[in-house]
Amino acid sequence: MSETSEEPIARSPIAPQAPVVRFGWEISARAARGDLSLSDETPLAKVAVRAPFRGAAADALGVGFGRTTRTDVDGVGVGDVLVVGSGPGEWLVLAAPGRGPDLAAALTRRLGSSGEFVSVIDLTHGRALVRLAGRAAPQVLAKVCGIDLSDSVTPDGAALRTTVARVVTDVVRDDRGGPPSSVGPSYLLHVERSSGQFLAGALLDAGAEFGLETGTFVGLAGRDT
Amino acid sequence: MTILPITRSTATSGRLGPQPGEVIDRHRTLDFTWNGRVLQGHPGDTLASALTAAGERVLSRSYKYHRPRGLSTASYLDPGALFQVGDEPNVRGAHRLLREGDDVRSQNTWPSLAFDLKAVNGLAGRFLAPGFYYKTFIKPERLWPSYEKVLRTFVHAGEISPVPGTEVYDKRYAHPDVVVAGGGPAGMAAAVAAARAGASVLLVEEEHQLGGHLRWGGSAELAALRELTAAVAAEPGIEVMTDSVAGARFDDNWIPIVQRSLPGVAERLVKARAKTLVVAAGLIERPYVFAGNDLPGVLLSTGVRRLVNLHAVRPGQRAVVLTANPDGDAAAADLARVGVDVAAVIDARRGEGIVAAHGRGGVQSVELTGGRRVEADLLVTAVGWTAPTSLLNQSGDDPVYDPRTARFRPDPARLPDNVLAAGGIVGEGSTDELVAHGDATGREAARRAARVARRLAAVPTAVTTPRPPVPQPDAAPVVVPELVTPDHPELFTNGTGGFVDQCEDVGLKELRTAIREGYDSVELLKRYTTATMGPTQGKLETVNMVAVLAQATGRTMAETGTTTWRPMYAPVTLGALAGRPSEPVRYSPMQPWHERHGAVPLVAGQWIRPEHYGDPAAEVTAVRTRVGIIDVTPIGKLDLRGPDIPKLLELLYVNKWQRLAVGRVRYGVMCAEDGVVLDDGVTGRLGEDHYLCSTTSSGAATVWEWVENWLQTAHPEWQVHVTPVTTAYASINVAGPHSRELVGRLVEGLDLASEAFGYMNVRSATVAGVADCVLWRIGFTGELSYEIHVPAAYGLHVWERLMAAGEDLGVTPFGVEAQRILRLEKGHAIVGQDTDGLTQGFSAGLGDLIKLDKPDFAGKPELAWQHERGGHPRLVGLRPVDPTIVPPEASQILDRDGSIAGRITSSRMSPTLGRAICLGQLEPDLAEIGTRVTVRHPDGRDVVAEVTDPVHVDPEGARQRV
Repeated sequence: MSETSEEPIARSPIAPQAPVVRFGWEISARAARGDLSLSDETPLAKVAVRAPFRGAAADALGVGFGRTTRTDVDGVGVGDVLVVGSGPGEWLVLAAPGRGPDLAAALTRRLGSSGEFVSVIDLTHGRALVRLAGRAAPQVLAKVCGIDLSDSVTPDGAALRTTVARVVTDVVRDDRGGPPSSVGPSYLLHVERSSGQFLAGALLDAGAEFGLETGTFVGLAGRDT
Repeated sequence: MTILPITRSTATSGRLGPQPGEVIDRHRTLDFTWNGRVLQGHPGDTLASALTAAGERVLSRSYKYHRPRGLSTASYLDPGALFQVGDEPNVRGAHRLLREGDDVRSQNTWPSLAFDLKAVNGLAGRFLAPGFYYKTFIKPERLWPSYEKVLRTFVHAGEISPVPGTEVYDKRYAHPDVVVAGGGPAGMAAAVAAARAGASVLLVEEEHQLGGHLRWGGSAELAALRELTAAVAAEPGIEVMTDSVAGARFDDNWIPIVQRSLPGVAERLVKARAKTLVVAAGLIERPYVFAGNDLPGVLLSTGVRRLVNLHAVRPGQRAVVLTANPDGDAAAADLARVGVDVAAVIDARRGEGIVAAHGRGGVQSVELTGGRRVEADLLVTAVGWTAPTSLLNQSGDDPVYDPRTARFRPDPARLPDNVLAAGGIVGEGSTDELVAHGDATGREAARRAARVARRLAAVPTAVTTPRPPVPQPDAAPVVVPELVTPDHPELFTNGTGGFVDQCEDVGLKELRTAIREGYDSVELLKRYTTATMGPTQGKLETVNMVAVLAQATGRTMAETGTTTWRPMYAPVTLGALAGRPSEPVRYSPMQPWHERHGAVPLVAGQWIRPEHYGDPAAEVTAVRTRVGIIDVTPIGKLDLRGPDIPKLLELLYVNKWQRLAVGRVRYGVMCAEDGVVLDDGVTGRLGEDHYLCSTTSSGAATVWEWVENWLQTAHPEWQVHVTPVTTAYASINVAGPHSRELVGRLVEGLDLASEAFGYMNVRSATVAGVADCVLWRIGFTGELSYEIHVPAAYGLHVWERLMAAGEDLGVTPFGVEAQRILRLEKGHAIVGQDTDGLTQGFSAGLGDLIKLDKPDFAGKPELAWQHERGGHPRLVGLRPVDPTIVPPEASQILDRDGSIAGRITSSRMSPTLGRAICLGQLEPDLAEIGTRVTVRHPDGRDVVAEVTDPVHVDPEGARQRV
C-alpha cells in the first residue's frame, strides 16, 4: 500500500498474504486449498460488555459465562451477531466488519434499560481475532494450548479464556462460522491486538505438520453461506 | 584391572541366520563408523547390536575405573553401551536405532577404547572408595577449581558441542481417557479393551515395538503378538507411542510422556491428563552381583534373548547359563538352537551356583560352586526380576518386599481410584493369563474413565448442540483375575565381589565399607556411594543394594525398604522440557513502517520498539528544533467507566482527583502500600463518567491488576469498569516547535490554538480522516507536543500521513533512545529507572505532588512516616565537571568520607547542551544545588560532578506551554 494514501485503510496486526482492501480493511486474498486453515478475522466488529454476572442485562444478552449464542441486536443482523460469554460478567459481541459503532450503540440502548451498571466498549481496534478451522484444528491447538478440546468438554458453542502459545486468549468454538470449504471444529481465538502477529505465527508453526494454510477472511456466516 | 590392549573379540560371533521374530531388515545395509572404522548393520539394529554383530565385544569403559564393559541387558537400561554419536553424548547404544552414516564413538577413553590409560584408576581403586572425593578434595577449598578440571578428564562421559544444536523439540497436550504405560501383552490387551469400551487411549511403550517379552519368545508368543498387534491397529481410539516413556505420575493423572523417534523432531514432551492410568510396565531382569560380573560377556538372559531373537546376533561361542527361572531356561534353549555351545547350565533352583567370572577384557572362564572352572566367553544370568513400580509409588503405593517371590510387589488396593496396574508388574502368568488380566484392567479403566466423563458432562451448559454420548459406566466394577506369582529363589549376590552399580562403578566391597562407616540407611547409602544415581536410575541396582544393606545390618529387606522412586522414570533431556523456544512478542501497528525505515529494534518487555533510526542525537535535535514523531503505543491505557471513578483515582494516586473537569488531563503517581513508587502517568476525563488512564509501558499489566485488586477486594460497591485498551489505540507523540503546525494540517474539527486546547487538556477529533482519535496536550520531551491515540487499525495510516504532511517541516521519526535523552534533559524521572523497589514517594522528587491532607490513599501511612522522619534520599540533577564524561548508569556517588551516598540513575550526553547530564539518587546532606560530589565508575575511576536542578533544559517549561 502507498505510504501517502489519503483514504484511511484499516489494517490488522497480522500481515496479510496477497493483500486486498474490502470493507475498508486490508485483508488476505489468498484462500486455503485444504480443509485446515487459519484466517484473520480481525475486521469483525468486536464489542466488549461488562454487566452483573446475573441479572436483566445478562438475560438480555441471552448467554452466560462459557457459552455462545447467535442473536440479533436491534437490526444489526439476525444470526449475524455472535454473543460470547467470555468471562464472569464479561461478554464479547461479534458482528460484521464496520458494524462496531452501531452494535455498541444498540447494545447500550438495549442493556441500558436494565437499570444495572453496564458498560459497552467497541474494542474492534484493540483486539486481534483469528479462526482456526478444519478436522485437525484440535490437534494444532493441542500443541499450544493445554485445554481438553474433546467434544465432551469443549463442544461447539463453548467459550473459555486460557493461554494459547503463552498469550492470554479467548477461545471460542464456533463450528457454524467455519469456512464453507472445511468441516470439523472451528475455533475463534481472540487476543489483544499487539499479540496477533505472534499468535498467528505460533499457530502456523504448530500446524505445519498438519498442513495448516492461511485462508482469507470468513466472517461469521461461514458454513451458512 | 586391565591396562593392556584389548582387541576385538577373538570369537567370530556375528550375524545369525534369519530368526522368526527378528526386527532387522536384511535387505538393506547401513554404513556407520565405530571410532572411525567403517562397519555395517541393518535397519532395525541398535547401535550395540550392529557392533556386536560386527564382532565388537568391548563397547565402553566404566565410569570411575575405566574397566572394559560390554552389553548386559541389551536394552535402554544397558550401562555398558553409552556412546557419543556425532555431537550427541551419552546415547544409549543398546536402544538407539542405527542410522546411515552414524559416527559412533566410545566416550572419554584415551588414547583408545582398546588401550585406555585411564584404566590406571583401577590400580588406585582402594583409594577411590566412596567418599573419596569428599574426603580428599574438601580442603583447601581454593584449589577445588583445579581439582575439578583434573577430575573431569577422568570422568566417563561424552562431550557436547559448543555450537548450538539445530534439533527441534516439541510439545503437545493430550487428554486421553486412559493412558496405558507399557506395551507388553497386558498393556496391549488393556488398551484394546479400554478402546472397545469407548475410551480414547494413549498406549506408551519404551521400546521401538509393542509386545514386550512376546517379541523374543517362541512361536506361541509370536502368534499372540501378531494377534494383539492386529487388535491394537484395529482400534482407532488407540494412539500408539513407541520409543516413548511415561516419565511420571503427578496429581490428577498429570503424566509427562517423552516421545522420541518422530520425523523432524528430536523429542516431544506430551503433557497428558488422563482420566485413568494403567501401569503395565512389566518386569526388569535383575543382574547378579559376583566377582567378575562386569566383564564383557556377562549378559542377562533377556539381553541374550533380545540379541538372538530380535537382532539375530550371536552373543558368544561358548556359554555358561546360571538360571533360576523359566526365562533362563529359555535363554539356554535359544543359545543351543542357534549353535552356541552351552557348556553348562547351572540351576539355582537346585542349589547350584557360580563363584566368579574370570578373564581379561572379557569372560574367559566361569568358576562354579565347588571349584570347577568352565571355559566360556559368555555367562548368562537369570536370577530374578524387579517390578518397576515408580509410577505406582508416585500414585501413593509403597511396594513391600516379598521374600517368597524375591521382589518388591505393589498392592493395587493401595492405589487411588484413577490408577490401575496390569500384567507382570502385579504378578506372573501365561500369555493368556497376562492378556486376560490386561483385558479386565483395561475394561475397568474405561469404566472409571467414563465415570469421570459423566461427572464432567454433568456441568450445566447453555449449549443447544447436543454433546456426544458419554459411555455408560458398567453397573458394577470389572472383576480382574488374580495373577499368581510363583516362588523364586532370592539371588542378589554370592558375596564374592563384583559391582552392584555398573553405571557408577560402585562395588560390593565399597558398599560394605560405606555401611561400616555408618551409612546404614538406604537413602544415606545411596547418597554417600552414588549407587543407583547413574543413567539407569536404580532400575537394575536398587534391589541388590537393598539386599546388601539388609545382609550387612541384619535387617530384613522389607525393613530396609527402597529409596524413593521420584520423577522422572527415565532421564529427560533439557530440550524436551524446554520444548520449542517461543517467547511472545508484541508489535505496534506501525511496526512494518519501522522495519522498512531501518529502525534498530529494542526489546522492552514483550514489546519490540524502535530504539533509533540510525542517529539518536540527530533525532533529539530534530525534536528540539523542528518536529519529530515517536511511536508510543506501548504506553499502558485503561478505559475507566462509571460514576465512582474519582473515588478510585483518589484512592490509587498520591495527588487529588476530585475536581478534574471534562477535557482536562492530570499527571498522577501511584505508590504501593509501602509507599514505594509503583507507576505514573496521565489520566484524562473524556466524559462525565468516562476517563482514559495511562500507565508506564512496562507497568500496564501491574496497574490493571492493582486497580482490579482494589475494586474487587476493598471496594466492590464502587461502580467502575476497567478495560485495558493499550493496544486499542496506536499512540503517536508529535513533539517539537512545529508540532502544532503538523498536527493542524491533518486534524479536523479541532482548534489547536493554545487558548482553545491548552497544555494538559484532552480532546477527541478526526485526524487524517480517522474519526475518534484522542489527542492529549502533554509532553515527556519538554517540547510543545500532542499525543495522538488513533484507533489502532488506522495507526499506520496516520503515521504515514504525518510523515508525508510534515516533510517540508523536517519531520523526523525518533526512537526510545532519543526520547530517553529528551526526557532526561527535561528532568522527567522514569519509574523503575530513576526509582527502584525501595524508592518511596518523597525520594522520587514527588514532594509537591503527595497530598498527605487527603483522607486516605494507597501508601499514605508509609509516606506520612517517611515525611515525618525526613532524611531520605533525594532525586537530583548532576553534571560532571568535565562535560565530556558520561558516567555509566548505576555508578556510585561517594560521600566525603568515601562511603556510598547515592547512585547515578540516568546518564546521557545531551545534544542540546553539548555536555553530559545525569539524574541520581543522593543523600540529603549532599543534595543541595552546587554541591560537588565524587562519582565512582564501575571500573573504579572517580570523576567530580556538581549537583543541579533535575531539569536541565527549559526549567520554566516555556517550550511546552506555548
